[in-house]
Amino acid sequence: MQKNERLNGFGARRAGFTTLAALLALAACGPRQDADQSGEDAGATQTAAAQDAGAAEQSRADDGPVRPPLDPYPSTYEPYPSETIVLTGATILTGTGARIDNGAVVLADGKIAAVGAAADVEVPDGAATVDANGKWITPGVIDIHSHLGNYPSPSTDSTSDGNEATSPNTAEVWTEHSVWPQDAGFTRAIAGGVTTLQILPGSANLFGGRAAILKNVPSRTVQGMKFPGAPYGMKMACGENPKRVYENSGPATRMANFSHYRAAWIDAAEYKKSWEDYWADYAEWEENGEEDEDAPKAPSRDLKKETLAGVLSGDIRVNMHCYRADEMAFVLDMAREFGYKVATFHHAIEAYKIADYLAEEGVCAAVWSDWWGFKLEAYDTVLENAALVHAQPNGCAIIHSDSDIGIQRLNQETAKAMGDGRRIGIDITPKDAIAWITANPAKAMGIDDQTGTLEPGKMADVVVWDRNPFSVYAKAERVYIDGALLFDRNDPSLSPRVDFEIGQEGNDFTGGAGQ
Amino acid sequence: MKHILSGAVFLIVGGFGIAAVSAQEAETPETETAAQEAEATAATTEAAAASATANEPASEEATDAADDTADAAPAAADEAAPAQTAAAAPVSASGSVAIMNGTVHTISGAAIENGDVIIRDGRIAAVGANLEAPLGAEVIDATGKIVTPGLFAPISSIGLQELGLDREANDAGPRTGFPLGAALDAQDAFDPSTTLIAINRTGGITRGLSAPEAGDTLFGGRAAVIDFSGEASSITKPRAAQTAEMGYAGARRAGDTRMGAWAVLREYLDETAAYAANPTGYLTRAREDRFAIADLKALAPVVRGTQPLLVSVNSAPDIRNLIRLKNAYRLNVIIVGGSEAWTVADELAAANIPVILDPLFNLPAQFEDIAATQAAAGRLHEAGVDIAFYNPQGFGAHNLRALPQLAGNAVAYGLDYDAALEALTLTPAEMFGLSSQLGSIEIGKIADIVIWDGDPLELTTRPEAVFINGEAQSLENRQTKLRDRYRDLTRGDLPHAYRGGQ
Repeated sequence: MQKNERLNGFGARRAGFTTLAALLALAACGPRQDADQSGEDAGATQTAAAQDAGAAEQSRADDGPVRPPLDPYPSTYEPYPSETIVLTGATILTGTGARIDNGAVVLADGKIAAVGAAADVEVPDGAATVDANGKWITPGVIDIHSHLGNYPSPSTDSTSDGNEATSPNTAEVWTEHSVWPQDAGFTRAIAGGVTTLQILPGSANLFGGRAAILKNVPSRTVQGMKFPGAPYGMKMACGENPKRVYENSGPATRMANFSHYRAAWIDAAEYKKSWEDYWADYAEWEENGEEDEDAPKAPSRDLKKETLAGVLSGDIRVNMHCYRADEMAFVLDMAREFGYKVATFHHAIEAYKIADYLAEEGVCAAVWSDWWGFKLEAYDTVLENAALVHAQPNGCAIIHSDSDIGIQRLNQETAKAMGDGRRIGIDITPKDAIAWITANPAKAMGIDDQTGTLEPGKMADVVVWDRNPFSVYAKAERVYIDGALLFDRNDPSLSPRVDFEIGQEGNDFTGGAGQ
Repeated sequence: MKHILSGAVFLIVGGFGIAAVSAQEAETPETETAAQEAEATAATTEAAAASATANEPASEEATDAADDTADAAPAAADEAAPAQTAAAAPVSASGSVAIMNGTVHTISGAAIENGDVIIRDGRIAAVGANLEAPLGAEVIDATGKIVTPGLFAPISSIGLQELGLDREANDAGPRTGFPLGAALDAQDAFDPSTTLIAINRTGGITRGLSAPEAGDTLFGGRAAVIDFSGEASSITKPRAAQTAEMGYAGARRAGDTRMGAWAVLREYLDETAAYAANPTGYLTRAREDRFAIADLKALAPVVRGTQPLLVSVNSAPDIRNLIRLKNAYRLNVIIVGGSEAWTVADELAAANIPVILDPLFNLPAQFEDIAATQAAAGRLHEAGVDIAFYNPQGFGAHNLRALPQLAGNAVAYGLDYDAALEALTLTPAEMFGLSSQLGSIEIGKIADIVIWDGDPLELTTRPEAVFINGEAQSLENRQTKLRDRYRDLTRGDLPHAYRGGQ
C-alpha cells in the first residue's frame, strides 16, 4: 500500500480508495500498473475498471466524491531481467554503517537476497558467482539534487527547462514534464554509480514546483524512469535567487520572500480545508441526504494549491534550497507555523553553524564538499560542513551534486568531506560516509524502505567499484539496478548511449557511459 | 559551463556584437594613455618596485619592449621575468629550511625516495638524497610525506573576484556595453588580500595566472602571473598573457556566428599590426572606429608572438582554424578548454600548441563538445601535446584547490602519473616563460614547495606545509577560522561572535 498511502492527495481520506473515482485517480492514464508497486493484488482488474470509467464524469453522484488524481502520470518502470548472482570476496559498505571485508552479496529476483561475510552467506542453487576479490561494493549512489533532463546536454535555449522563472510561486509545475530522457548526462551518471536521482525545478522561485524521483534507467519516456512508489517532492528556495528575479513585482527582499511563502501557505490551508469540508459534506450527504438533494459541489481544482496542500498533509516532501543558517531557522519556524515538515535543506552552506538544531529537528542538510563563493549567501562554507552535520547525534548529512559533472563522482566529493572531517578529529570512516550518498538521501526522499542500503529485501541497486570508492582513482565497474546489470565498464555492449549521441561524427570513439 | 547550480543561469552576461569605441576615446592622445597606464602600473606594483631591482615598465611601450626581449629569447626571458620575484621575495628570517627524508617529486627528474630539499634565501639550495641540513636550518622531518613543487593554476580569475554574483566584489570582467577588451589589465584590479588566495594556498596552490574574462569583445585582457603569498608584492609577471574567447563564446560576441568570430579576430590582428608598424600614421588615416587604440596597443606583443594568447576554443574545426592562424600570424597560442582537442592531437603537437583543459568534462554540453571525454588528457599527452588543468567547476578561482583531484581523475582515465604532476607544476610555468625559475625542484629555482601527507592527487590528502618564495605560509584561512568558531555549538558564556578569529 505504500504508493497509495504516499500519494493520497491531502491525506485526509484514505478510505476513498475504495471508490471508483479513487481507482481512476490511481490508474489514470498509466498503460501499466505494476501490481507489486501499487500493492494491490487486484491491480490489473482495477486498471481495467478505471480505464472503462475514464470517460465518465468524475462528479457523477454515484461515483462518490470528486478526488483530484493523485498519480496521473504513473511510473511505468519495470525492472529489467536479472539473474541470481553472488558477488563474492569484496569489501562491502552496506550503507547501514557496516563494513564487511571479504563479503558477499546475493542478488535474486531484482532484490538483495543476502549480505554478509563470504563464508557465511548461503549461495542459492543455480546462482552465478562473480569474483569480486579486491573490489568494493556499495549501495547504488543516490543524488538528491540533480538537473539532468531539465537542464540537459546539449544546453541550448531549446532544452533549458529547469526554471519556470515567471512567477515567485510556481508550485503548479511538475518538473517531470521538463525532463528529457535523452540527456547524455544520465549515461555519464550511471558510470559514476548513480542508480537513483531526484530532479528538481527552480531555484528562481519561492515555490519551484514538484520534483521527480527517477531510477537511472534509460527509457523512451520519463514515466519509464519514475521511481515506483516514490513520494513527490517540492522545491522551495530561500534568499538571493527569488529576491533577485522578481525585483519589479516582488519579492525583492528576504522579508517579502517570507510574506509570500506565508500567504501561499494560508491559501493552501484554506484550499485543503475546502476539500476536506467537501468530502465530509459528501459523506454526510451519502449517509443522510434526502432523495432529491443534490450532491455537494466539489471545489475547483487549483494545481498550485494542490501541491502546497499535499505538503501540508505530509504527502509531498519539501526540498528547501537555503544557504544561510539564520534563514534555515526561520524556515523551520514557518514549517511549524503551518504544520508541515522540511525534509532537506539543499546547498546548506551554513548548516554547520546550526548543526545541532538541524539534528534536533530531524532535517537533513544536503551540501557540496567544497563549492563556495559564487554569491554572498554561499560565502561561509567550510570543508568540514558535512562532517560537522554528521557528528551531531541524529545528524543527517547528504552530499549532492547540482551538476552534470559532479553527479558522476559523488563518491569523490564524499571522500573529500570525510577526510576533512577526520582531520579535525571527527570519527568518520567510509562505512559511515557512504550513507551521505546512499542511505541518507534515500531517507530524505522517502524511499529508504526500498533502496539506499544493502539489506535483504531491498531493490538490488548495487555498485561494484574497482577499488575503495573513496580513492580518486576508483571507478564504478558494474552497476546493477533492480538486479539488472545496466553498466559494465569492461563491456561496451553494456554502456548506454542516448539517441542524441547516436550517429554523431566521431561516434566510434566517444559518447555513451564511461566517457 | 551550464547550470552548475540552478542560480548560475543568472551569471550569464549578454554580450553580443562588437565593441564600438567612441571617436573621443579613439583619439585620446597616445602620450596621455601611456602616462596613465604607467601610473596605474606603478601604483599596483608599488611594493615590488620599491623592493629595489624590479624593473617595472615605465610605459606601455616599455612593457612591450620587455615582453619582446623576454619572449624572443626564452632562456633570457626566464632569467629576466622571475628576477622580479626574486627581488620581491623576502629573505627567510629564520635562515634556511631543510625538508628531510621525504619522497621528492622534482618533476625535472625522477622522484627521489628519502630525498631532501634545502631552501635558502627563498631559493632551492640543494636537492637530493642524504643531504646534510645546514647548521641553524629549520629542519622538517618529511618521512612518509610527499614533496612537490607548489602547484601552478594556469588560468582563473584569482585575485579579481571575491564573490561571483556580487558586482562590487567581482572585477573579473566588464559588463555588457563596455568598449574595451584586450586593454584591460589584471594587475589593475588584482587584490592579493582576497580570501581566495589563502583558501587555495591551503590546497597547495602557490602560483597562478590571474586572467580577466571577456566582456563584449573577443578579448579578456592582459593576465598576470601571481603568487599565493597574499603579499602586496605577489605579482610575479604582469602581462604574462592575453586571453580571447573563440568557439561559440566568441561567436556570441561576433554576430552569433563562428565566421564572425574568426573574421573579427583576424581583423584585430591585422589592425594591430598596422597600428604597431606606424602608430602616428594609423591614428591620422581615415578608418573605422571599431577598434579601440588601447586594445590594439595591448595586442601588439601578441601579434609579435612574444605574449601568449590563451584562446578558449572547443571544436575540432575551430582548433584547426586556430592552428592555421597561429602559423599564418606566428602567434604564441595556448588553447583553453579544447574539449575536442584530443581528436586533432597530432596536429596540435606538430604546431606546438599546449592545451589547458578540464579533465572531467565529458558531456556534449554544446555541439562543439560532441567528442568531450575524460580520456582527453591522457590522449593529448600521449600525442606529445603539453597539457595543464583548469577547474570550471565550483566556480573556478574559488576552488583551484581541486586541481589535484582533477589531475587524479585524468590519471584514472589514462594519463601517466608523472605527466599529471608535471601538468600541475612545470608545464604552466613553461607556458608563461617562467620554467627556469618555477615549476620544479631544482637548484637555483624559486622555493615554491608543498609537503603533502600522502599522494597529492588523492582526495583525502592535504598539504602539511606550503612554501612560497622559500617562506613557510600560513595554512589558516577564513574557512578554517569559521570552522573553529563553530566547532563547538554549545552555548558559552558569550556568543559565538566572541570565539576565534581574533
